[in-house]
Amino acid sequence: MAARSEAAYPPVSWKTGRIASWLVTVDHKRIGIMYIATSIFFFLLGGILAVLMRAQLATPNESFLTRNSYNELMTMHGTTMIFLVVVPILAGFGNYLVPLMIGARDMAFPRLNALSYWLYLLGGIVLWLSWFASGGAPKAGWWSYPPLSENLPYASPGHGQDYWILSIHLLTLSSIAGAINFIVTIHNMRARGMTWMRMPLFVWSIETYSILLLAALPTVSAAVTLLLLDRQAGTHFFLPSQGGNAVLYQHMFWFFGHPEVYVMVLPAMGMVSEILPVFARKPIFGYKAVAFSTLGIAFFSMLVWAHHMFTVGMPIGLDSFFMLSSMVIAVPTGIKIFNWIATTWRGNLIFDTPLLFALGFLALFTMGGLSGIFLAAFPVDWQVNDSYFIVAHFHYVAFGGIVFALFGGLYYWWPKMFGRLLDERLGKLHFWLLFAGFNLTFLPQHMLGLLGMPRRISTYHHGGLWEVYNLLSSIGSGITALAVLVFVVNVWVTHGLRRGVRASNDPWLADTLEWYTTSPPPPHNFDTVPYVTSARPLRDLRRRLAEQT
Amino acid sequence: MPTRVRRKLLSLLVASVSVLVTAGAAVAANGGFTPEAPHSPNAARISSAYYLILGFTAFIFVVVETLLVVFVWRYRSRSRDRTVEGAQVHGHTRLELIWTAGPVVILAVIASFVFYKLPGIANAPAASNPLRITVEGHQFYWQFDYPNGARSINELHVPVGRVVDLRVVSPDVIHSWWIPQLGGKVQAIPGRTNHIWFKADRAGTYEGQCAELCGPYHEAMRASVVAEPEQDYRAFITRTAAQTLGKQEFEGVCATCHGMQGQGGYGPALATNPILTQKAGLAAIVRNGRLRMPPVGDTWTQAQIDALAAYVSKNVYKGATSGG
Repeated sequence: MAARSEAAYPPVSWKTGRIASWLVTVDHKRIGIMYIATSIFFFLLGGILAVLMRAQLATPNESFLTRNSYNELMTMHGTTMIFLVVVPILAGFGNYLVPLMIGARDMAFPRLNALSYWLYLLGGIVLWLSWFASGGAPKAGWWSYPPLSENLPYASPGHGQDYWILSIHLLTLSSIAGAINFIVTIHNMRARGMTWMRMPLFVWSIETYSILLLAALPTVSAAVTLLLLDRQAGTHFFLPSQGGNAVLYQHMFWFFGHPEVYVMVLPAMGMVSEILPVFARKPIFGYKAVAFSTLGIAFFSMLVWAHHMFTVGMPIGLDSFFMLSSMVIAVPTGIKIFNWIATTWRGNLIFDTPLLFALGFLALFTMGGLSGIFLAAFPVDWQVNDSYFIVAHFHYVAFGGIVFALFGGLYYWWPKMFGRLLDERLGKLHFWLLFAGFNLTFLPQHMLGLLGMPRRISTYHHGGLWEVYNLLSSIGSGITALAVLVFVVNVWVTHGLRRGVRASNDPWLADTLEWYTTSPPPPHNFDTVPYVTSARPLRDLRRRLAEQT
Repeated sequence: MPTRVRRKLLSLLVASVSVLVTAGAAVAANGGFTPEAPHSPNAARISSAYYLILGFTAFIFVVVETLLVVFVWRYRSRSRDRTVEGAQVHGHTRLELIWTAGPVVILAVIASFVFYKLPGIANAPAASNPLRITVEGHQFYWQFDYPNGARSINELHVPVGRVVDLRVVSPDVIHSWWIPQLGGKVQAIPGRTNHIWFKADRAGTYEGQCAELCGPYHEAMRASVVAEPEQDYRAFITRTAAQTLGKQEFEGVCATCHGMQGQGGYGPALATNPILTQKAGLAAIVRNGRLRMPPVGDTWTQAQIDALAAYVSKNVYKGATSGG
């Protein structure tokens, strides 16, 4: 219907301008690119905050930042990286790739899709405007536990926290609309022949990502709504002095917060599951095991939230339950890791940059997964929780895992998105600098945590090992920043200087349908879509072509 | 694919494995590779659980990373073309079962060990006649309430070798009590009472600090536990605590923001403020807070206010600036 009525009129001229055409677009590819570009912009901003924090912590008794600035930076870094970088960049990849991978022309609801993006951008702008709010940016941490996040003169007066709440509301609306769109698209618009067991594993992960978002996001919306009412309408849901309950917020937040971890990591794993086989010149080892372990992780991720709360003094029975459920998640995660390693077995490993990042993901995510076992065992968690050990742990998962996978995905799909391959030499330099910088930043933080350094302190007074490890970590953060700069230079060299090699339809000899169309694809994606006979339709096509000649 | 990069990949991964091996060797020396040397039975049991998990995870880590490095090296492309396919292996059911069951067994062992150690960690020893002390987390200090009514700030005195049962509470925001050598941590949550216990096995001072973000001076919320012979402890709670209360309060509570000499800092300068000599005005501000200042003394007794007023008027107040 919509297509016919639009075709009846000539396009309105202002809508075809170089900028305006992006503002009014409902094309999933353009929306995907806008998501990715905006996320990378926020990634750079959030990274600057991180480097500033590391500068403050490089030496003891440092006063480079004030206490309140430190708390603002720390809160904004966490919120930005989770809500404005990882979740939306995955939405961006999902937007760009899901229709292409399943052989569809667009998402099921293109206008809703555009709304998701613009709500995300608005949420990001609102959060970053909080720097100009009375009282400055929010400073109660990305969890914003009350009573510290309450509108009390000694807690979080001013409006920074309210901007944070508004931003979370906008971002959850954006993600919920996006999640519904993904689910409807994946369920209804797959190419002929693409059964569930022939679907690319990245699409499996986006399906799971969407289900988890739908299940988890309403809870955080509710939690921040109650917090807003407390702050602005005189209620006291979380104010114990007036009969409220501060722990209730923690339950509501982590009921969302833990699934959110898997919202972020599962699609990153999906990317690795796409990249590894292509560069190993093999099929993924154990397709079904990888697909079903994705669902298994998602299911159990809804049952583990209170392992973030082992120190609130829950009954031992609850602690025990959450320990066991958290340990159960290690099993499907292990299955994935072993299957990925088996995928490299007897392969023809082509060391292009995407493979380096995928292998980096494997090496580092393993570390982050294993340090998680310490945290699941709740008596050990009592010792290491809220220390730098946990900061190291979740950065091994979120940075060493997710961000490495994302960079791998960027190098892998870049030629499809923009028609040029990123420079391989700069790509490798980027990888090795990032690998070295990342480990130097976060490996010593495990030790700091065990030495007794709590997270979120704006300075410290110990010399000795505290100083050594902190200084190493800060040096590492500089190297990490340099690595990210190499990526920016790479983009500039490839496109600004037009040095990038023009990409063919399928520069990597890949397996999935997005490589069937041109690079970049036309607005309607495909002229024809082949009948899908396996999980690797493009390899099937190549073989058929080879047989014919 | 230049050999140079391959070599780098290998050497880096070998390096990370050897870091782990060194870590194992350094365990005895403790360079931050294990929790701080425990000095309480619960902390010791936590450490033993830590070692068990470290053993298993280090084993898995070495296996996974070694496999990865070996496969990456062994199956590297060399000069093979991209069109050359690797072995078209789609999976192996028995392998899937093995690497599902293996981790299950390991996790079961870890969980069983945790449950075995748990009673000795979570519960204070029965029939030990524990010393009951209330720990109040405040912005930005710790206050300790002894059975005889004595109070101290930031420094908890206990008899060595006696079981101490802490009631952990907070009147303002969430804090977290943590002395690494004496066990785990527990949050001090307004509206709730949590418990944690320890038994210091050796005389000495054990340091720790607040582990839950509680505001701008979160980092300054340090606590120390002084474990001392019974008679020293008696002397402290019956005499020293009361004698030094005003000093403890000024240095542990006021000075954090107003400076050690009351010269000002995050909060305004006090040394020349005549309020220091007006007990009623001082009490009102300390009990109710003012603007950004938290109600630091909202749970203070009259004796505490008196002690503070006496101390600051004598030791901090420098007289009003003339013409000011």
